[in-house]
Amino acid sequence: MKFDISYTFDAIPRLLEGAFVTLQVAILGFTLSVLLATTITVARTSLNSKIFNSILAFYISFIRGTPILVQIFLVYYVLPVFGLNLGPFTAGIIAITLNSAAFVTEILRGGLASVPIGQFEAAKSLGISGYALWRKIILPQTFITSIPPLVNEFTMVLKATALLSMITVVELMRVSQQIYSANYHPVEVLSGTFVIYFLMCFVVSRSSVFLENRFIVKRAR
Amino acid sequence: MLEYQIFFDYAPILLIGFWLTIKIVVCAIALGIPLGLFLALGRRSNFVIISFLSTSFIELFRNTPFIIQVFLFYYVLPFYGLRLSAEYIGVLALAAFGSAYFAEIIRAGIDAVPKGQLDSARAIGMTDWQAMRNVILPQTLSIVIPPLTNQTLTLIKESAILSTITVHELTMTGLMVQGETFRPFEVFIMVALLYWALNETIATIMRKFEQNTKKNRKAGSIGNSSTTLKKSTSIK
Repeated sequence: MKFDISYTFDAIPRLLEGAFVTLQVAILGFTLSVLLATTITVARTSLNSKIFNSILAFYISFIRGTPILVQIFLVYYVLPVFGLNLGPFTAGIIAITLNSAAFVTEILRGGLASVPIGQFEAAKSLGISGYALWRKIILPQTFITSIPPLVNEFTMVLKATALLSMITVVELMRVSQQIYSANYHPVEVLSGTFVIYFLMCFVVSRSSVFLENRFIVKRAR
Repeated sequence: MLEYQIFFDYAPILLIGFWLTIKIVVCAIALGIPLGLFLALGRRSNFVIISFLSTSFIELFRNTPFIIQVFLFYYVLPFYGLRLSAEYIGVLALAAFGSAYFAEIIRAGIDAVPKGQLDSARAIGMTDWQAMRNVILPQTLSIVIPPLTNQTLTLIKESAILSTITVHELTMTGLMVQGETFRPFEVFIMVALLYWALNETIATIMRKFEQNTKKNRKAGSIGNSSTTLKKSTSIK
């Protein structure tokens, strides 16, 4: 057998459709996970309750200690047992969100630690509290310092979406499997998929510097 | 709701899968760390071709999902006439994936050693290789151990993906048991707990190890060992 690149080119239009689904899943899952993680971070700091913190520690340890593939299977196969019949797409999004939220929470904790305590005190002395304190003062600073690890986490999510092919979400990986099981040229098709994944992740990971420059806070010293 | 019997009936078969997971990860690390070291040194090399090849290897493997690397290994090796069983392909894929990350960790470790160390090693007449081997790399060791541990944990987790190419490791066994019993909850919880236990054990051991080396380094850095011993006891 010889490597016949025409099979790669033939597959590309469908692969790009799959890549579009991959991007959708990744962006949706990542956005939800950032929202969830922000809520958790705010709740953890303002509640400061022992029970909440220990539940959170348990959740983060579990997510970080088990493979995301097993988490995806858990969500996909276990929710129907409890009477929740979700499609693979929804189950996939839930699994990705739950997984990524744990990592984003850890990232935000680091970002929050870098916000000087004086910011809280200054806000308090100006009578700013609650929603305005977080929305206008603390969270913007937290997110700007967290840009590099957040971008890194987004590439992790992008790579994790490939695993959703295992629960029949028709994204890039699944599409390429469908193509090569029809034409029996896995090497050519998978090479195309490999390149597309590489380009997506590479562009995203390089965007970190650009985003940092865009959002950097210029302070008078 | 829960059927506890499944835990007892299928624990032995899952443990067999678990053992294969451990074996695969150990082999992958044993292959991956030397390869990562070569890649890290290659990336710093003055030969443009070597540094370009190492850099592209690292970037290609870091910026693509592991599952597609596994599939590529699974289909490409036989394509060029190399027929191996799924287990060996899994080890190779995991080692290649891990080595790209190991390389970046080692490179960061080398960069963290002050530049004067290499300069002075060269100044007293060591060759590049001697300086690397006797001066730089030993100092890198304590810096790279925590990220290497993290990467090891990642490899354990990524090894679950080898179930897609029919390696009978823990996740694959879990899927088979699930197909037999139709009790996904019990099975996958058990699988998750096994992975979790392994990861937590390694993380705890390495944390202890790290604290010990830190203590030793602190003690060793002030004067010679006998005076430090006195000092540390007197402080206490």
